[in-house]
Amino acid sequence: MTTLRADVLVIGGGATGAGVAWDCALRGYDTILVDRRDLAEGTSGRFHGLLHSGGRYVVKDPDAAVECVEENAIVRRVAADAVEDTGGLFVTTPDDDPAYGDRFMEGCRVAHLPAEEISVAEALRREPLLNPGIKRAFVVPDASVDVWKLVWALAGGAAAHGARVLTYHRVIGVRREGDDVCGARLRNELSGEEIDVEAGFVLNASGAWVAEVAEMAGCEGIHVAPGKGIMIAMNHRLVNTVVNRLIIPADGDILVPIRTVSVIGTTDIRSRHADELPVTQDEVDQMLDDGERLVPGLRAARALRVWAGVRPLFEDKKTGDTDSTRDVSRSHAILDHLERDGLRNFLTITGGKLTTYRLMAQDIVDAMVRQLGDDRPCRTAETGLPGSEDGEPYRLGTRLRAREEELRTEQIICECELVGRTRLEGAMRRRGTINLDDIRRNLRLGMGPCQGGFCMYRAAGILHGVGRLDGPQASGSLRHFLQERWKGMWPVLYGDQLRQARLDDWIFQGLLDVEHVPAETAGLPTPVDAELEPATLA
Amino acid sequence: MTPDVIVVGTGLAGLTAAVRLAQDGARVVVLAKGIGATHLAGATIDVLGYDPGRVESPAAALPRLAEERPDHPYARLGAAAVGEALGWLGAQVAAGPLAAYTYEGGLEENLLLPTAVGAPKPTAMAPVTMLGGDLRRESLRVCIVGFRQLKDFHPMLCAENLAAADAGGRIEARGLELDLPVTGRADVNAQGMAQQLDDPAVRGALVQQLAGRLHADERVGLPAVLGLRDPHAVWAELEHRLGRPVFEIPTLPPSVPGMRLYTILRAALRAAGGRQIIGPEVVGPLGGGPRLEGLRVRVGRREDVRRAGEVVLATGGFASGGLALDSRWHARDAALGLPLAGVPADGAPRFVPGYFDDQPMARAGIAVDDELRPLDAGGEPVYENVRVAGASIAGAVPWKEKSGDGISLASGHRAAGLILQSARAAAAAGATLEAP
Repeated sequence: MTTLRADVLVIGGGATGAGVAWDCALRGYDTILVDRRDLAEGTSGRFHGLLHSGGRYVVKDPDAAVECVEENAIVRRVAADAVEDTGGLFVTTPDDDPAYGDRFMEGCRVAHLPAEEISVAEALRREPLLNPGIKRAFVVPDASVDVWKLVWALAGGAAAHGARVLTYHRVIGVRREGDDVCGARLRNELSGEEIDVEAGFVLNASGAWVAEVAEMAGCEGIHVAPGKGIMIAMNHRLVNTVVNRLIIPADGDILVPIRTVSVIGTTDIRSRHADELPVTQDEVDQMLDDGERLVPGLRAARALRVWAGVRPLFEDKKTGDTDSTRDVSRSHAILDHLERDGLRNFLTITGGKLTTYRLMAQDIVDAMVRQLGDDRPCRTAETGLPGSEDGEPYRLGTRLRAREEELRTEQIICECELVGRTRLEGAMRRRGTINLDDIRRNLRLGMGPCQGGFCMYRAAGILHGVGRLDGPQASGSLRHFLQERWKGMWPVLYGDQLRQARLDDWIFQGLLDVEHVPAETAGLPTPVDAELEPATLA
Repeated sequence: MTPDVIVVGTGLAGLTAAVRLAQDGARVVVLAKGIGATHLAGATIDVLGYDPGRVESPAAALPRLAEERPDHPYARLGAAAVGEALGWLGAQVAAGPLAAYTYEGGLEENLLLPTAVGAPKPTAMAPVTMLGGDLRRESLRVCIVGFRQLKDFHPMLCAENLAAADAGGRIEARGLELDLPVTGRADVNAQGMAQQLDDPAVRGALVQQLAGRLHADERVGLPAVLGLRDPHAVWAELEHRLGRPVFEIPTLPPSVPGMRLYTILRAALRAAGGRQIIGPEVVGPLGGGPRLEGLRVRVGRREDVRRAGEVVLATGGFASGGLALDSRWHARDAALGLPLAGVPADGAPRFVPGYFDDQPMARAGIAVDDELRPLDAGGEPVYENVRVAGASIAGAVPWKEKSGDGISLASGHRAAGLILQSARAAAAAGATLEAP
């Protein structure tokens, strides 16, 4: 069996885990980052894309608001390439109490959040599709963040400092020598091969799944309730500014413009299991009704896709804490297993939000440094990520401009998201994956209006050559990608998107007959919920 | 009495109905919001390919299907009508403007033609330029040839899957990708490539690039891009100069063989004195029934009224916009607001998570009687002078069954036949009444 050695093993490849790996690598620790799936495929890849100004929390949770204010400014600087400076609006809809705006402004003042009230007319001039019945509007520095770009930049930065990133490696056991945690056993989820990692320290950053990992080390009593939230991507930028409903945070009260789409979110429903995330048509209906309050006519717009993510809502049954243990703010929790369970070299972090990923990483790595008795200060607040060194934020239209320059020389494979053949082949070589869904997260392949209707066959044909696959393997990749795209489409198939889906049916079944082509599935991941008992449809 | 007919929709069903009506002396105008689905489909005439196992003979399978699924469009149409329509189409193509370009095949035995991903697909009838790819041969050695510039066709993937799909080792297939720098751009679609191959110089370059690279008894499979102006001549020239059978394989849209079929049927319509107007959108009925007086039609921002004696509704399914489902899950026919059958009840799932599983919404469409008249929820005809043809008819899953072309062709053909028949009956009745 292969054995890898490192100073630190980080478990969980979401924004937090990748942030932890980047932080460790910058402080000079030899680091291994592992995830059971691809990077940012769990909670991080399933949110709305909002980089909070803090406005959402100023009334309900002032400490979280302060954290967001500070981290928002830092992330805009160090991860500029993943951030679009959309700005944000908080608006009072006809159903809401205008007096709440005064509490909101007072909260902003206390949190040092730069907010400004503007006239309703000015808000409607900036966002013409907004509900014309809004009564008040406030401007805040919200932004949108491309999470896959962010997480891959964190992992890439860590790798540039010597870290190793192992995707599709599931932790199947945590190694202990007495009261010292000293590594983990991993299983490659695609090949079945097992490997050992010997590590001086293990950092558990697996979000909604931290309890499962901690239990492998013998730590009981951790409970993370999965809070399910659904989001719907609309085909267009219905707004170009993040729009928040000015109320105590509730369902369906945020609309985020991100890349070429806008995302409406979200709900909060307790789920049985973090891997069990069915989306029902009732939930979709509710979300669309909520969206109508912000942008009337939302129901007539084209919905592309729906997905659900899980918030890790942490509860420690052993200490009775429902939030932090110590050294940290309320919005995320670090479990010191030395103090809690008498285990050395093992820390767990959970809770929090994407906006504060960097602070979370800093907090847990600081705690590790203290336990190790080292003196290595955090550098992530000052160090730009790969691609963001110039501090220039992402601008919508960058891809289109680049495309104009290569119009005659570069074949375009995904017209919706402007993915060229050279970039696609490069990503396929770099990733060495046969899973087109991995490529999607890197390049946005198949994420536009046709949801892969035109690019999936092309991508499979190209992957066949680049990956030196045989025909049935490439067909397996195509069928896998078809299923992955369908997964987020079927609960929102109405209007023009149903029309699109039917055209795709005609292409993949009527014309190509993909159903009857020999297909090989080895090397492709099985759905995470495959082993759960079937959920009863609501 | 001359029937005065509006055909709504200009896909295979609408054009078939319109041509047949015009040829039999009816006054016909085709109204269509846009070009129909002919430009999207492979233009093979798929009658019944899967049921759910692979169908060898549609003639044998259709009566069984009609018996097992009385709600299926073929149960309304019957196998004989399908066979008649196939024969009719073959004659139209043979007499059409694309010279020797013909359709071959029939109901008795399905052909088995390769798709662009390398699946063997059963189809009843196909252009003569595709027949060389029939996979039912004792043994077959093929070289699938693609072009680097044409991203919508991947020859190696196609070839390897063709060989892998054949358990008996009868098929030997390999792929070859040529670089034919024809347009000066990195990208060309099937239509652009076909326009290039209309040019003899480009064909010369193609033949030259293949010289010495083919094995002695190897057939050549190419994407369906062998010309738009005179495809038979392009195909025959390549067969001659390469000294071997050559065949076309349908690609992603835009579909070159689909455009050819459209060209042929439109020419037949014009020759018979029918008219076609592209742009107007039918937005509702005129009159409440049982006889429809005409149609409310929108052109740009203006709404107009068109009176008609008879209407053929051939607006297509959800893909073409003939049927629509809104965000509150109300489904209807977009042109006349007809109710749909086969829509799952409120609260029941419309779709299920497995892409290839049976989708509850798949069979939704307009229910029709044997005269192809639209039915309401109680099973009564909504209008006695409206016939429904094509993909908007309820009861089939055409993309899965590979039955879409057969349903469109046969229902379009039958709709025209029913109108002509009732016109003749009315004329006979009129003659009787007027007799002294």
